Amino acid sequence: MTVRISPGTAYGFFTDTSICIGCKACEVACKEWNQLPGNAARFLGDSLDNTGQLDAMNWRHVQFVERFTSERHAWLMMSDVCKHCNQASCMDVCPTGAIIRTEFDTVFIQQDVCNGCRNCISACPFGVIGFHGDTGTVRKCTLCYDRLQAGMQPACAQACPTQSIQFGPLDQLHQHADARLAALHSQGSTTASLYGRDSQVYGGLGAFFLLMDTPETYGLPSVASAVRPGRNNAPGYLGALLGSVLAVLGGLIAFRRRNETEPR
Amino acid sequence: MAHEHFAVSPDWRWYILLYFFLAGIAGGAYVIGALLRVTGRDPAAERVTHLIAFPAIVICPVLLTLDLGSPARFWHMLVNTTPGGGGLNLRPESPMSVGVWALSLFSLFALVSFLGALGRPPGIARLMAGPMGTAVTAIGAVLGLFVASYTGVLLAVSNEAVWSDTWTLGGLFLASGMSAAAAVVAWAARRRAAAGTEERLAEADGWFALIEVLFLVLLFITLGAAGTARTVLDHGWVLLWVVVGLGLLPPLLGLARRGMAGVMAAAAPVLVILGVLALRAVIIFSPQG
Amino acid sequence: MVSLAATFGRGAMTNHWRDIRNADLILINGANPAEAHPVGFQWFMRAKLERGAKMVHTDPRFTRTSAVADVHLPIRTGTDAAYFGGLINYVLQNNLTHDEYVRNYTNASWVVKDGYSFQDGLFSGYNADKRSYDLSTWGYEAAAAAEPAAGGPPATPLDAFARRDPTLQDPRCVLQLMKAHYARYTPEMVERITGIPRARFLEVAQMVGEMGRPEKVMTIVYAVGLTHHTTGSQLIRSASILQLLLGNIGRPGGGMNAERGHANIQGNTDNAISWEILPGYLKVPAPGQRTIADYVAQSASKRSDPHSWNFFGTNYRKFTVSLLKTWFGDAATADNEFAFDHLPKPAQNSSWMSIYDNALKGKMKGVLLSGMTATSIGPDSNQVMKALGSLDWLVVMDPLPTTSSEFWHAPGVDPASVKTEVFMLPTTHWIEKDGSFVNSGRWMQWKDQVLPPEGQSRHDHWILADLLMRVRSLYDRQGGRYPDPLMQLTMAYADPRKPTLDEVAREVNGSDLTTGKRLASFALLKDDGTTTAGNWIYTGGYPEAGNLAKRRQGVDDPKKNDPTGMGYYPNWAWSWPLNRRVLYNRASADLEGKPWDPTRAGIQWNGSRWVGDVPDYPPTMSPSDPNAWLPFIMNGEGVGRLFSSSTIDGPLSEHYEPVESPITNPLHPQVSASPAAFLYDKAAGRKNRFGTVKDYPYVATSYRLTEHEHYVTQHVPLLVGLQPEPFVELPPQLAAEKGIHTGDRVRVSSMRGKLEVLALVTPRLQPLTVDGRTVYQVGIPIHWGFVGVAADNDPNKGANWLANALTPFVGDANARTPEFKAFLVNVERV
Ligand SMILES: Nc1nc2c(c(=O)[nH]1)N[C@H]1C(S)=C(S)[C@@H](COP(=O)(O)OP(=O)(O)OC[C@H]3O[C@@H](n4cnc5c(=O)[nH]c(N)nc54)[C@H](O)[C@@H]3O)O[C@H]1N2
Ligand SMILES: Nc1nc2c(c(=O)[nH]1)N[C@H]1C(S)=C(S)[C@@H](COP(=O)(O)OP(=O)(O)OC[C@H]3O[C@@H](n4cnc5c(=O)[nH]c(N)nc54)[C@H](O)[C@@H]3O)O[C@H]1N2
Ligand code: SF4
Ligand code: SF4
Ligand code: SF4
Ligand code: SF4
Ligand code: SF4
Ligand SMILES: [Mo]
Repeated sequence: MTVRISPGTAYGFFTDTSICIGCKACEVACKEWNQLPGNAARFLGDSLDNTGQLDAMNWRHVQFVERFTSERHAWLMMSDVCKHCNQASCMDVCPTGAIIRTEFDTVFIQQDVCNGCRNCISACPFGVIGFHGDTGTVRKCTLCYDRLQAGMQPACAQACPTQSIQFGPLDQLHQHADARLAALHSQGSTTASLYGRDSQVYGGLGAFFLLMDTPETYGLPSVASAVRPGRNNAPGYLGALLGSVLAVLGGLIAFRRRNETEPR
Repeated sequence: MAHEHFAVSPDWRWYILLYFFLAGIAGGAYVIGALLRVTGRDPAAERVTHLIAFPAIVICPVLLTLDLGSPARFWHMLVNTTPGGGGLNLRPESPMSVGVWALSLFSLFALVSFLGALGRPPGIARLMAGPMGTAVTAIGAVLGLFVASYTGVLLAVSNEAVWSDTWTLGGLFLASGMSAAAAVVAWAARRRAAAGTEERLAEADGWFALIEVLFLVLLFITLGAAGTARTVLDHGWVLLWVVVGLGLLPPLLGLARRGMAGVMAAAAPVLVILGVLALRAVIIFSPQG
Repeated sequence: MVSLAATFGRGAMTNHWRDIRNADLILINGANPAEAHPVGFQWFMRAKLERGAKMVHTDPRFTRTSAVADVHLPIRTGTDAAYFGGLINYVLQNNLTHDEYVRNYTNASWVVKDGYSFQDGLFSGYNADKRSYDLSTWGYEAAAAAEPAAGGPPATPLDAFARRDPTLQDPRCVLQLMKAHYARYTPEMVERITGIPRARFLEVAQMVGEMGRPEKVMTIVYAVGLTHHTTGSQLIRSASILQLLLGNIGRPGGGMNAERGHANIQGNTDNAISWEILPGYLKVPAPGQRTIADYVAQSASKRSDPHSWNFFGTNYRKFTVSLLKTWFGDAATADNEFAFDHLPKPAQNSSWMSIYDNALKGKMKGVLLSGMTATSIGPDSNQVMKALGSLDWLVVMDPLPTTSSEFWHAPGVDPASVKTEVFMLPTTHWIEKDGSFVNSGRWMQWKDQVLPPEGQSRHDHWILADLLMRVRSLYDRQGGRYPDPLMQLTMAYADPRKPTLDEVAREVNGSDLTTGKRLASFALLKDDGTTTAGNWIYTGGYPEAGNLAKRRQGVDDPKKNDPTGMGYYPNWAWSWPLNRRVLYNRASADLEGKPWDPTRAGIQWNGSRWVGDVPDYPPTMSPSDPNAWLPFIMNGEGVGRLFSSSTIDGPLSEHYEPVESPITNPLHPQVSASPAAFLYDKAAGRKNRFGTVKDYPYVATSYRLTEHEHYVTQHVPLLVGLQPEPFVELPPQLAAEKGIHTGDRVRVSSMRGKLEVLALVTPRLQPLTVDGRTVYQVGIPIHWGFVGVAADNDPNKGANWLANALTPFVGDANARTPEFKAFLVNVERV
């Protein structure tokens, strides 16, 4: 699928987990292009996954979820990545403004601005961002900002043999996704659903998914749990104000003037 | 309501713990100073609060900076360094951004009050003695309250378990900070303080502790509702809660039976301080595993 | 490959990757394409996505392929012949065959001569001492002399016409024999042998039965999960027979699709990498064949029907002579039988295992290993290492260190104890060369050099050319016995020491010596010494027009480049033979030349010629021509062979147990395992190295993971990161019995050796109920050894990491492919 890439249009990923074969070509392509050596190799024994999580060294992570019951034998695979949220929690809390929205409507961390405070890590509801000691900054999927600027599609999407990762203008991807979902439902796959296609989750995800099970199964917050950190600003400060008022009162009571006839 | 959390740990450790602690002490001490001033009691004790507040607060930026991945870029929080950006960097959505500004301003006021307390340069001392000084102290106190409490909001504005599940951390940190500050001031001023000040500080400490207890109750109610109360009680964290309890004991006793305060006077400050550290440690560390 | 040739006439994937997109039903047996052919697998997914095709994956394990398949059938390793036998029986019993196809395009109506029989697991003509069959009893009944008059060209000495019964009623006609033969494969028997629950089997049998309808088509995809068995040929034959009965051969979306291994293994096979053939599947001459005539008479297939073109057999001599002219040039003349004497006439088998067998017997001085790692490949790595250790010298041509180049200092080996002198000749890697890759679908695709060669490394073909030149100069100086084959070998390259692959490609294509022009088709080859062809099936790939393997008219413009819309892309690269994309495609249309399914036409008769794909048939031969050839032009029969005398272990498929098996064969306990498999150790008088369920209670199979390419990727850190350490997959129930948890170190042992690796406990492996008892299957990825990044990081340097320390030194009767996929082991915690 060749895509013409021009600034001003919103691009993203539609990741169709129903056709992911867990080959990890996306992981490798990402590492090759972004020169990420990965973490120290270790056998995790988590199905066939030895990558473990998204972090500073892994900007793509293929999950393997074994769901084996007497009536259902399912081995779910899902290539996880930064969701490039329309309402990006990471961006909300960043004190330096290192996290920006690019001309392709993707979420990008400027390495020359980030000072490594790691506030964004506590904010990202998907556990995407990782801190990298060597650079003293945090890193994540750039949605191949450099490649997009050069008119090339992201490395991971290009490497995906099954087109489980589809890159393109979001509105087009939305149409593909709707069609694919309809097809699956008509074939009786009732558990299939789209995640982040509409605005329910963080105003819509730039990298949205077709899931074959509940979001939680893939380590994604349910719609109900998809909340922004900023929600706690007002209540948090009010709580602080309440505390302040009480404390000042307490102080005043303690230091109030009394008649000096007490015993010494 | 209960949310599942999939955020990972920012790996905030000892620097942050110490920062939160000192911010509480500094802010608390300054506020107590202000209260002593407005109630017109014991200028000597008031001077002590300022001699504590400033040294405590100047360490904070250092701790914050040391915790950064790129310490040399601390200033990126104050100045917008995004190419084509420029100008000052204030991001109301981000408590860390707001906090850094509050911290900087508060440090200034603390410095002025500190110099005033030292009595030199005489100019400043004279100024601080007058009504102008009262104004400065008042504003400084407001900033102090903010610095001592916003750290709780900073944690809350995230998607971490526990932190983002409650609105009580700001008030909680403030109360415990003031209680510690009261203990420290009482101890530091024990020689110079005028008659009765010690008792009054102990009583204040008592009130602060009571407020802390109130917020602790609210904390567990909110965490219970969010289903993350276990996180702060699991593996060994309970031990720290015991320390928190021990730290609350002296001031509460002090409040319950006046005059008896003197009894535990010796051990009190240490217990209280440990309690405050323990409280922050549990809150900061337990969700980060 | 043997079985495909024995059934259809050519040993290759009948269709091609992109064509799998055209299937209604995809049966995957003994293959794990999602992991072993992930890029090719996109066409499986397209079939699902674009036409709602169903995918059935039959595999002992639930793999990444099963994960996206519609049905996964867990099967006991080595029992697919019973599974397919059951499907054949189901199709025959319920008359679900494609009747018109079976009558006209298969040898169902051929009458087998008296004397053929099958009893208690043995076909007629068995010799117990030789452990082999006399194939003569598997022939056809001769036709009445009148028969040829029925039409077709005059009979020739190469003919042996057979009697046919068009009514298919004769009890000795192939179809009737099959009905009897396969009646034993009831669903109950299938369950008893394979462990596939009867209900699940019938569910799939129903789907398969549908595929006999002309407008439906099914593809069967397999790879080494079927070939790595002592019964490999039988397994593949059984599937091929099913496809013929359903009329799915020669049709787009159908076929018997063998996914090949290395990127160019098909090219290797075509060019005689295996011991029994010359380039282009000409047989290796046998002792006693003095003249080309002898050779052809004994090697070429005979026409058993007047309407059979028997293209291969008929032209065998032309291809042979053209090959000899290519090799020996002017030294090959009509007077000296075109130097036929120069060809070796080996008296003995020299397949893979035979090499090490001979080394063990002390019959080999040296071995030259190029681009393969004997020690890791196995089988029975410990014995292979012993074999390498009993050589005088070993040359390893490889860009990288391998377990073969390093075997002399493997963990636990004392270098002093190894007398073999080991030479490492650093070659360039294929990525540092140009040249062609021939994929499973027979497409010859030219590639450019991607990286410059490193250091002192040299191209393989330069090393070999230089070696030849040096040997020649030795003969020049010192003389020797019968040097002619070496001295007279043509090296007509600009620099004989450094041939270019372009020169070689042109030589392989061949040319007309009278005009000096390269030929555009093997139809132009002659047997008078005026033409050359280094490999006749490639003739036409590099005509005067240029190197067609370089053509790249692809998906950038489907309208123009894929006119039929069937995905042939005729101007993308070039596929043998003559750029045909689907083999035997005459069978994709009915007798009148109309496609069985107009929406998926292979070729069709437009009144004057065959259009669509490049016809595997004379382009202008009308279906109404009384002399019209039958569709399978390579076979003596002219049709697909349900019954075939070309596999030496049985004319019809039969289930035999693996040599190491947990049960005795329920069909015929007396003859449980293959009676024709060659037992090396026994024959050589070495001690028995096969285990029994008593000592080794668990069934094991070995296989690949997406993350690694055999052994070579142990040198690639990123891939080692994805699968850092060797492990074995265990069913939870077995793990529970043994108190083993994921991450524990376990010892897996067989009669031959042991493996000490980590355990991965997973429900993807489930116990089976076989012949009334519970059978646990253990999964063993093959990728690790004592060379590479992982081994370097290991405190024990990868000791006991060779999967093939476990595998049995025995192979298939025909191809002698080792039984890598079924053996018995024990598992314990260490
Ligand atoms: N990633 C990767 N891809 C590769 C290679 C590689 O090393 N790594 N190697 C290439 C080469 S050389 C080759 S030959 C091909 C091989 O390609 P495949 O044959 O697909 O690979 P394998 O994993 O050896 O075996 C395939 C499957 O056969 C199953 N199996 C074992 N025994 C039986 C049986 O008796 N019946 C059935 N139905 N299934 C059985 C195994 O469980 C396994 O899942 O792969 C090629 N592609
Ligand atoms: N138990 C078990 N054993 C098996 C199998 C199994 O399924 N189970 N599978 C079997 C099969 S199908 C196969 S194909 C084998 C695979 O066994 P191998 O073919 O030995 O495996 P590779 O690692 O692919 O080895 C290829 C070697 O060729 C080298 N090479 C690459 N390019 C060039 C070149 O241009 N010239 C030269 N000279 N060398 C080059 C590489 O460096 C590498 O060392 O394993 C077999 N063994
Ligand atoms: S997924 Fe996390 S890192 Fe990516 S944009 Fe959303 S919040 Fe930011
Ligand atoms: S770590 Fe960098 S990107 Fe993240 S919040 Fe801090 S400054 Fe912003
Ligand atoms: S878009 Fe680029 S950076 Fe992001 S995962 Fe894909 S390859 Fe990696
Ligand atoms: S490359 Fe595509 S198919 Fe392979 S793991 Fe990634 S998403 Fe899945
Ligand atoms: S490794 Fe190469 S040949 Fe094998 S599937 Fe991937 S791309 Fe194709
Ligand atoms: Mo292979």
